Amino acid sequence: MSTAIDDAGDRRGKRVMWTYIVCGLSIFTLMLLVGILLRGSQAAWFALDAGVFYSLLSLHGVGMLTALTISGLGTLWYLVNRETPLNEGVAYVAFSLFVGGVAAVIVSVVVGHYGALWTMLYPLPFVGTYWPSWATGAWLIGTLLVMVGFTIWCAQILGALVVRFGGLNGMLGIDYVLRNRAFVQSGKEPPAPEMFAAAITAIDGFIAATAGLLVGIALLVHWLDPTVALDPLWAKNLTYMFGHTFANLTMYMAVAGIYVGLPLCTKRSYHTSVQLTVAWWATLTFVIIAYFHHLYMDFAQAQSVQYIGEIASYLAAIPVVVVTVYGGVLLVHRSGMRWTLGSMFLFAGMIGWVVGGFAAVLDATIPVNVDLHNTLWVPGHFHTYLLEGVVLFTLGWVFVNLEARSGGQTSALVRWLVGVGMFGGGALFLLSFYLAGAAGVPRRYAVEPAPGPFFANIATIGALVLLAGFILAASEALRLARLKPAHVPL
Amino acid sequence: MDSSVVLKIFLVVAVLAIVLLLWLANYRQSTPLAQSDLTARGYGIRRYWFWCTLIVAFAVYAITIPAFPYRKAQASVNARHYSVIAQQYGFTLPAVVPLDTPVVFDVTAKDVNHGFGIYDPGGRVITQVQAMPLYVNHLAVTFTVPGRYRVRCLEFCGIAHAAMQGSFDVK
Ligand code: HEM
Ligand SMILES: [Cu+2]
Repeated sequence: MSTAIDDAGDRRGKRVMWTYIVCGLSIFTLMLLVGILLRGSQAAWFALDAGVFYSLLSLHGVGMLTALTISGLGTLWYLVNRETPLNEGVAYVAFSLFVGGVAAVIVSVVVGHYGALWTMLYPLPFVGTYWPSWATGAWLIGTLLVMVGFTIWCAQILGALVVRFGGLNGMLGIDYVLRNRAFVQSGKEPPAPEMFAAAITAIDGFIAATAGLLVGIALLVHWLDPTVALDPLWAKNLTYMFGHTFANLTMYMAVAGIYVGLPLCTKRSYHTSVQLTVAWWATLTFVIIAYFHHLYMDFAQAQSVQYIGEIASYLAAIPVVVVTVYGGVLLVHRSGMRWTLGSMFLFAGMIGWVVGGFAAVLDATIPVNVDLHNTLWVPGHFHTYLLEGVVLFTLGWVFVNLEARSGGQTSALVRWLVGVGMFGGGALFLLSFYLAGAAGVPRRYAVEPAPGPFFANIATIGALVLLAGFILAASEALRLARLKPAHVPL
Repeated sequence: MDSSVVLKIFLVVAVLAIVLLLWLANYRQSTPLAQSDLTARGYGIRRYWFWCTLIVAFAVYAITIPAFPYRKAQASVNARHYSVIAQQYGFTLPAVVPLDTPVVFDVTAKDVNHGFGIYDPGGRVITQVQAMPLYVNHLAVTFTVPGRYRVRCLEFCGIAHAAMQGSFDVK
């Protein structure tokens, strides 16, 4: 690996990364338990009061996305810091904003019983509420803190990448694609694949966070002065421009696990190619407008936007997944790689990404969306690529590092048990969403109509099996972390 | 498009993808190749694979456009219009809607966002549209099966969202 920094700089980068990852995965574990409560309640294993259900669902949704964002941003920060030294003070400022934001959100939900979900679709958080007004304020302030932290991260990374690669042209590999021959002959090299992941996260993250701040501040103004009315369609557009992009970017952050982690497992290298660069351009351009698919069923929205929405959804998702996964499989194929927990998670994550992405693309097709919009198909697809994609990339990256650091191995039995738990349990959990969704069971129902509860039963069993696999993996991670370092990785 | 067909397509493709990827990962791992031996062929296939998926994506896009629901509502100017008003936590609906006749639902909401999801007598979603305050969404439908249709709210609208429903008869 090309390393532009000394050992001390690398150690500082690692400290930032592990601070972010440990915090992110701790929140993740908590939210996993909340998720199981929700599904168990839908299965009528016990009865959560509807108000409690929606408060917990609000917490679960925003908490999970923030958890994965925090660990993804930490990983990318570390990788960018290897290329061009970054000021870690900035990383800790952003980090404290994330922590403060999550704390405010928890207070809003646990003490105030806020329950208008992460979407807080105007005018919902103000009409027919069952929680005090201050809880809405605390929620808004919490999410705004997270957005501000995210914006700071984006600004720092963007600045560093622009300087390191000599402007947008170099950073995005424009000459590398458009004047390829001259570029290659001059002996220059395009940015490494994970730098595209960082750049796209920073650029689209900045735009999305700006949209989020805009609508968040507008909601805050309305909270302070209810006579200031907002337009619901405007608010909805901005809400999803932020929310959809934010959720998608967690994937593009975690993907660094493939670009950097898989080469460590396979002792091969992942090169930037013209196709990969073009695919990232497609994501860069379209991920920010792919959210139009959240408004397919708003016929009042300009029609042209609907027509753009479908193709933008395809182009944001398809090229980058087909090229990245193709490259990942090519790395593994006949490499003589040995399966470890790290390589297993990274490879399985690619499968989850492909499967969840395909389910998403189906639902992003308007004639299909007419029947599936806001059914359980939707949590089906995003839990697939988050739980069996982003989370696995994150865990894979953690294990690859722990394995390299300690030289420790996990027994085949434990690996199998973790695999059966996390993928077998996960499959049951996810399949139930798809089957119920295709049968028309709506999402976000505290009490579901038939056949919802039947599938919720299977899903809860699956989620518990998954939890067992996750606990086993976590204890294995702690065991590896406590082993004496064999050598310094990377 | 019928959701059960979509489900089948999804399951078949998902299983194929899983089997293919696992096979590629485990195939002859005990006799490794140098990366350079693999990339020569692999990169050639990649170009083909990249452009093929893009062409398929554009083809699917083109094929699905005629089935978009937006024009239909505009085209049915002569259809009978029925007003639908959603409000926490119920719908104001027509009691009866004619069979085999193009109708348009003019859907809006009084307080917050709701969803107007129509379930046929067999319990399947046949179509839907959002109900948004200050806006009216026009949903064109022609019912071809008589019976009692249930309406469920398909946008989270508050604590009793799951209980928000209504019904009308098609005859
Ligand atoms: C075993 C683990 C998990 C369980 C049992 C679980 C359970 C649930 C349940 C029951 C819902 C509500 C579904 C509905 O609409 O009726 C939900 C929604 C959601 N989950 Fe999970 N989940 C898990 C993991 C995750 C992960 C890893 C993420 C990653 C970011 C995540 C993010 C979300 C989001 C964003 C929502 C939507 C919230 C909303 O509708 O406002 N979940 N989850
Ligand atoms: Cu509702």
